[in-house]
Amino acid sequence: MGFGQFLTEPEFKFIIVTHRDIFQNTAQESSRFSEQYAELSSVIRLDKDDMKKIGVKAGDSVIVKNASGRVVLKAESSILEQPHPGTAFMINGPWANALVAADTGGTGVPAFKNIEAVLSRSKEEKVTSLDELV
Amino acid sequence: MDKGPFVCTGCALLCDDIAVELQDNRVTRVDTACRKGVSRMKGCVSPMPCTVDGKTVDENVAIREAARILKEARHPLVFGHGNSTLEAQQKAIELARKLGAHIDDTSSFCQGPLVEAILNNKIPTCTLDEVRHMADVIIFWGADPSHSHPRHLSMYSYFPRGKQRQRGWEEDRTAIIIDVRKSDTAVICGDKLYEIPVGADPDFMNALLNALSNKVPKTPFNMDPKRILELANILKKAEFGVVFAGLGMVYSLDSLDPLFSLMDKLNETSKFHLIPMVGQYNMRGFDHTLFRETGHINRVYFRGEEIEHGPQQSVIELISNDIIDAAMIIGSDPLASLPGPIAKKLAKIPLITIDPCENLTSRRSKVTIPSALSGVECDGTAIRMDGVEVVLKQIIETNKLTDEKIIARIMEEI
Repeated sequence: MGFGQFLTEPEFKFIIVTHRDIFQNTAQESSRFSEQYAELSSVIRLDKDDMKKIGVKAGDSVIVKNASGRVVLKAESSILEQPHPGTAFMINGPWANALVAADTGGTGVPAFKNIEAVLSRSKEEKVTSLDELV
Repeated sequence: MDKGPFVCTGCALLCDDIAVELQDNRVTRVDTACRKGVSRMKGCVSPMPCTVDGKTVDENVAIREAARILKEARHPLVFGHGNSTLEAQQKAIELARKLGAHIDDTSSFCQGPLVEAILNNKIPTCTLDEVRHMADVIIFWGADPSHSHPRHLSMYSYFPRGKQRQRGWEEDRTAIIIDVRKSDTAVICGDKLYEIPVGADPDFMNALLNALSNKVPKTPFNMDPKRILELANILKKAEFGVVFAGLGMVYSLDSLDPLFSLMDKLNETSKFHLIPMVGQYNMRGFDHTLFRETGHINRVYFRGEEIEHGPQQSVIELISNDIIDAAMIIGSDPLASLPGPIAKKLAKIPLITIDPCENLTSRRSKVTIPSALSGVECDGTAIRMDGVEVVLKQIIETNKLTDEKIIARIMEEI
């Protein structure tokens, strides 16, 4: 057990934008409980330079949290050409929804595609499972 | 059996050219549909059992228990509807009226505002068939059909050689993408991608409005005015333009006014239409049906003889403010699709799920009643994303009840 164990990991602010994905959707049609559905829904895609700044590699676990919830996700590098520092992308599903605020300012429409959250490296935590979410 | 072609209920495109192969009364092969549609039509691997409190029961017992829960609740909610036929939706509205219940659907936090604006004639619209035959300028705004509606580009909006667009996408059509990222649709449609910051859609609409009025278009995110003027020129010259509005656009607009202004301006010089990129196959159908019955597309409370409507009657606010004390969910999985804190609250009240397949909500439900998969195990009608009514055919035999029949039986019990 090293000293590093007791240091808090630095936190980085992100805006998460969710989007649809045909492969995740196909998996969902077959079963909401399939491994592929869980794998695709629990990935967060980050800007390549942001990954260097935070010190995570593709496949590492990261903790993403805000006042609404906390999830452990798998970090992957963005597949987009344009740099997008400070913005991260997720496929919409229960993992992203765990971070969406209940407060809609009275409009009844949650901010599904504009989620503010902080991200930090995870010390060997496993990616949150579907059972842990609800 | 009907030889087809059949209609796919994988999304609100309702592709009507589907061929299937059957073996032992199961769909074993699906041709023509997209990946998602094939998966929908072959059926799920975890069909929902008929249960009360987790124990397998026959459907009479489950229906009686569902009726008891709804009858005893002071503020029951009837929610879902996007994956049901028009006939089932009609019955669900009848049930809500009879119960004095709250009724809402996914359009409440999805494409509702646009469908409502179209039904109130505030936005000009057209059909997908008109798009195929006539559209020369196509805007995908906050939409990524390559993932959400995979055959959109090939059936209607970009690739087809329509009657007046014989040279198809190569020469006759220009596709424009306005999005926060280079989506897969943007990759397919070439160089007309306008990348904007998250939530900047109203700013971009205003800039475009200025460009269309021959003013210098300024944006808070410093997009080159020349690019916006170039876009305005393309739009002005359009013979038949169409905006496919995705959730990226809808969620960025606190009010639809910037969109109304833009559509009005576009229609001063050319013909522009808007079609909402509706997800679930018959979400628009529910909105049409409820609108016809109550004058509102969603968020309705049948309070005695009166009808209450507004954001406070939305599924989100009703759960958030602890109003509802029981819910019947038809063809939807709110525990997966609602914000986590709201889903946790919903899971604590008695739930009844009607669905062909097991999902997160059904596993937390007090009563689950399996239903026939529409377009495969039962027929009916539905409304496509562009407002056109489509007839669904039954492909295989089943002894499962339809949503419509289940709701009717629950009403009889009540």
